Amino acid sequence: MAAIHVNDLGMTFRAPLREEGLRAAANSLFKREHRQIEAVRQVSFDLDPGEVVGFLGPNGAGKTTTLKILSGILQPSRGDVRVLAHVPWRRERAFLRQIAMVRGSRPIGGPGELTVLDSLRFQKVIYEVSDNAFANALAELRRMLDLDPILNRQVRALSLGERMRAGLAMSLVYRPRVLFLDEPTLGLDVSAVGAMRRFIARYARESGATILLTSHYMADVESLCQRILLIDKGSLRYDGPLARLSASLTPFKVLNVEVTVGTGPVWEEFGEVTEASADRATLRVHRDRAPAATARLLAELPVTDLSVGDPPLESVIDRVYREGVA
Amino acid sequence: MRNVRLLALYVRRSFLEWMGFRSFLFTLVVNQAVAPVLGLAVWSAALPERSGISTYFIALLAVQLTTVSYEYHTVSMGIYQGNLNDNLLRPHPMVIAPLGENLATRAWHLLIGLPIIVIAMAATGVAFDAGNVVLALPALALAAALRFLFTYALALSALWGQQSGGVTELGTILVFLLGGLAAPIPLMPESIRPFGEALPFRAMLGFPAEIATGNLSTQEIVQGYGWQALWLAVFAAVAMVVWTAGVRRYTALGG
Repeated sequence: MAAIHVNDLGMTFRAPLREEGLRAAANSLFKREHRQIEAVRQVSFDLDPGEVVGFLGPNGAGKTTTLKILSGILQPSRGDVRVLAHVPWRRERAFLRQIAMVRGSRPIGGPGELTVLDSLRFQKVIYEVSDNAFANALAELRRMLDLDPILNRQVRALSLGERMRAGLAMSLVYRPRVLFLDEPTLGLDVSAVGAMRRFIARYARESGATILLTSHYMADVESLCQRILLIDKGSLRYDGPLARLSASLTPFKVLNVEVTVGTGPVWEEFGEVTEASADRATLRVHRDRAPAATARLLAELPVTDLSVGDPPLESVIDRVYREGVA
Repeated sequence: MRNVRLLALYVRRSFLEWMGFRSFLFTLVVNQAVAPVLGLAVWSAALPERSGISTYFIALLAVQLTTVSYEYHTVSMGIYQGNLNDNLLRPHPMVIAPLGENLATRAWHLLIGLPIIVIAMAATGVAFDAGNVVLALPALALAAALRFLFTYALALSALWGQQSGGVTELGTILVFLLGGLAAPIPLMPESIRPFGEALPFRAMLGFPAEIATGNLSTQEIVQGYGWQALWLAVFAAVAMVVWTAGVRRYTALGG
């Protein structure tokens, strides 16, 4: 049975609308206009228990709305959703005790005056964690998240990276079976990002939790997720292995060519040049014409090195974000 | 039982949190004490022959500090700032968190305001009858519950728009004008006094102070408790309906 089941999910908001200017503002007091915004449309997918899945898309694509629906904060306009066999927006206690949502933009929701340990103990009572389970979880989280230096510090005095560690600890101390991570590495420095990725990977491996992760950092996704969901303008455009994403989204191959020094070829004759020097070039060639272009390069130039591959994921996603999916 | 335990947890957490804002708490308490103390000075000077007027305003000061409600700041602002999402994800009834904050705030108000009450009693030579105080305590508890539910229901208007500040402020003004703070209800003109006694605002503030002052007959006390019980049931139902409708709208519109 799927840990998360989503079928034909749709979410339409009714947003107020008015022209600019004083007159329009005055008119809007008496006659309000609205327009329908379809934030999510016909999204369907299933996540198996223990899967770690990347949820990608440009700003405003519908990622956070979907996460809010899955965690029970929002009730969708249509569609069937089950998380651990519960309808999320009913917010049953048994459901809420088994899920956690961690937002990189706001890792800790409680009062800043309390210490991290106070906040963890607060979670223990709220989520009915036994003394024994709490002690074990705390010991493990102290080790995995290096919590000792911050346990007795007030939340408001923590740096962003420390807040993220504390926020994760607060969300994981009750061992949720489903974890929604919304931009977990947002704003962190390089070493904190690395530590966070290692932690999430290890937690997923050891706990068997199902994790749905949104991130704008491709490295997060590449290091943590085998499977990708790509959403654009509210619709799911790709659902599959990370390895096939580039091939699915772009009709191009990338050819890296190196020739004998002093040859000076006209690179434009072989493909679209994305980078070039006298004896080296990176060319973009349509997938269908890649074998012919490769053959021509080998036949006509003194090639010393040649590689054919998919465009880097980062650039594919960047293209999708800017131009949408074809 | 679990909800009581969680409420105690939220009270403790909020009490600890307020420790970090001690100086701000002092200003809040002074702000809440100003109106009853001014009332004490003005009405004592205006009606020097009227027995119990000083006792009434000192009792009113204690009631004011014990029933103070800031749900605009805890509930409405929480909705505007996105804190409601955190509460929606917690496995317990939503009202427990703001109620815990409310009780902790009142505890701090009473602790800090106690010296003001003692000083006012010493300055005016007022002494309370223990029997009247005991009779007033259940009314004080009902007033505290009623004022919380009233302010909470108004603060939930934040689920519909940005005007919650104005809505809750209107509630505060009504409590001030019709609750026995601007003028004691027994001193209102005959023609409007029955309305003042029946409206919920006296039940939130003036009624416990009137009992503690010792100026009410047994029949008036019973009648006052009746109004309190009625309004408590009404506002509990209103708060529940407003929450259910508001959260449905909130979750449908995007949080």
